[in-house]
Amino acid sequence: MRLKGRHWVAVWLVAFLAVTWLVYARQTAAIHDARELIEIRARRASLEGHKAELERRVRTEQSRAVLVPRAQAKLGLHLPADSEIILVPLPGPGTSPP
Amino acid sequence: MAKPAVRLQFVERGVFLALALLAVRAAQVQLLEGRRWAEAAQAQRTERIVLPARRGTLSDRHGTPLALTQETYHVGVAPNELRDPARDDALIARQLGLTGRWQEALHKRYAYFAGPFSALEVRPLRSIRGVHLEPVVNRFYPAPELARATIGRVGDDGYGASGLEKTLDSLLAGRSGSAVVLKDRAGREYESPARVIAQPIAGHDVELTLDAELQEIAQRALDDALRRMDADGGDVVMLDPATGEVLAIASRQRDGTGRPSAFIDTFEPGSVAKIFAAAALLALKRVRPSEHVSGEDGIYRLPGRPPITDEDPQPTLTLADAIRVSSNIAIVKFAARLTPAEQYRMLRDFGFGVLTGIEFPGEAAGRLRPPSEWTRPSAASLAIGYELSVTPIQVAAAYAALANGGLLLQPSLIREVRSPEGRVLYRHEPEPVRRAVSPEIAAALRDLLRGVVERGTGAEAALTNFPVAAKTGTARRVVNGHYAPGQYTASFAALFPADKPQLVLVVKIDNPHKGSYFAAQTAAPVTRSMLEQALAARTVALDRARLSTAAPPATAVPLEDDGGVVPYVVPWPYQPDSVGARRRQTVPDVTGLRLREAVRALHRRGFRVALKGWGTAEHTWPAAGDSAASGATVTLFAEPVTPAAVGAIARRRAKR
Repeated sequence: MRLKGRHWVAVWLVAFLAVTWLVYARQTAAIHDARELIEIRARRASLEGHKAELERRVRTEQSRAVLVPRAQAKLGLHLPADSEIILVPLPGPGTSPP
Repeated sequence: MAKPAVRLQFVERGVFLALALLAVRAAQVQLLEGRRWAEAAQAQRTERIVLPARRGTLSDRHGTPLALTQETYHVGVAPNELRDPARDDALIARQLGLTGRWQEALHKRYAYFAGPFSALEVRPLRSIRGVHLEPVVNRFYPAPELARATIGRVGDDGYGASGLEKTLDSLLAGRSGSAVVLKDRAGREYESPARVIAQPIAGHDVELTLDAELQEIAQRALDDALRRMDADGGDVVMLDPATGEVLAIASRQRDGTGRPSAFIDTFEPGSVAKIFAAAALLALKRVRPSEHVSGEDGIYRLPGRPPITDEDPQPTLTLADAIRVSSNIAIVKFAARLTPAEQYRMLRDFGFGVLTGIEFPGEAAGRLRPPSEWTRPSAASLAIGYELSVTPIQVAAAYAALANGGLLLQPSLIREVRSPEGRVLYRHEPEPVRRAVSPEIAAALRDLLRGVVERGTGAEAALTNFPVAAKTGTARRVVNGHYAPGQYTASFAALFPADKPQLVLVVKIDNPHKGSYFAAQTAAPVTRSMLEQALAARTVALDRARLSTAAPPATAVPLEDDGGVVPYVVPWPYQPDSVGARRRQTVPDVTGLRLREAVRALHRRGFRVALKGWGTAEHTWPAAGDSAASGATVTLFAEPVTPAAVGAIARRRAKR
């Protein structure tokens, strides 16, 4: 069956609508992805900031300025004099371990 | 009145002319000026934005980050866009910490807060309409006070402004990228992905030679000492003599400026420099060990200078005594046997009067005048450490040469430079400057310094179980070009342990006001305290295997009389015993492998690796086939690739 003039018009119209829809769908998906990307980046930055803040707090709490006075006051520990430190000599490479 | 046909013709021509003009104008706009208009339209609809590059991380020798790059934000608020101004204003003010005057800014047409604010602070503001966040990368220092003067800071322009941030700026900065974003007529950005023109290239990561724990020990010890002695300032330098790597460097001033004085401020070292006169005397064989000079009852007069005095007069002294009790008179008498050129050359050979070459901006060279500029008393003054200005880092480097068999190494702050992908671009290797003295002379000088701690002025730095070699120095301070009465600089340079030293420490205290001003009572105890803390610390870069052999056997250790209680030392930071309950793994045989492959094989089994030597893997401890807890440190011994080494490895493998 040969297509008549108005059928051609309809075919072209459908094709146009299909292409337009495709462009629209791709644009929508891209904008959606872009939003998601921005969101994820923001979340990552936020988590990195949180991590850095926690690391800073851990470093502060682990520092001698904080730990030593607490260990002295609460646990009765003291920084050892060198006479209190015993280093066990390592056997040489040729000898077998104890 | 013209006829209608004529009028029509007139109108037709008018219309034709107008159309022709329109066509000409269109041709002009499209063909002749098309490019310009296209560019103008492009500029109106698009904006080129800079994609900032991540600035490289600075970390200590164990990988502990000291300076990082973090995303922060400037915040803009458009009050007319807020949905619920009362509630939103309160939230914005709380999150940004706005008070009074600043809170009023929220009622303007557009308020801008430069901050910068952290991602955590702005997180609750992200969902508020009318709040515009402008990301900006910022430098973050997890422990802001740790080695602050050495690390330096980044300026507002994003470039290194001081310290290592400035020296290493070209390595750390990276290269910014760019992208194009679409805008609407009002200049607002469309929510569409940006078109990237050039990706940002992150900066290189730099691992410093500093040891964060030693650095903290040095800073705390210096702070405590300055507070206790009410001193004007001070410096501490710790150096690995085998490599020239600076492990810790701390500087403090009374005014709290945090100037990196260990690099840039000079001082007269006083008796700390006597060992270099002794070096010249021994190297040139101008003195015999048994030779004595008179102590002159503590006062020795020389023409052209004030009398030279000794605090602790001795009847006669050998060179060893002169160093041990820090006798000015004896060392001046011995040094008179040197020509000015010989005396000058020895000081120069130990690196005085020239830059050490350390990677720090604005390092001072100090002052050592050539013999042609000397006056009559200069030789005597130089023998006791006057007429010579030095920096603490120069003293540390010179003493490191004594510890390192007489070889002067260039001190360094950079251990490794890695690309953003983790590729090693630079690894520090010891850089010899020159041989100052022979290994035999260096050993003899270390013996002299050992005597200082065992029976001399440095007794306050003595440790019970580990021998220390050191020299004290108490010198008058120069203020406005004159020696200020009652003002002194106390300095102390130590090698730890005295045999095969692993650490060189230099402590300098400026003008202590409370108690004694002598280095023996000021700087020496600070050194002992730092050494004790370093020994007790777990992560400090000391080779305990070598230290354990340097220490006397356990039976000889005089344990304190504490009712039979065995002292238990808790390492800092505390590691619970449960950490030790880990799966055991067999140590793989890596003999003959290249270092990289050997390390990889050990890492695959979950071991940490401590490297000794360079070249090809030779053996490990624990040995191949033995088992060790996962996470335990396996020491990998390597040796340079020589035909003999290859043969030995092959024989060992065949035997196994």
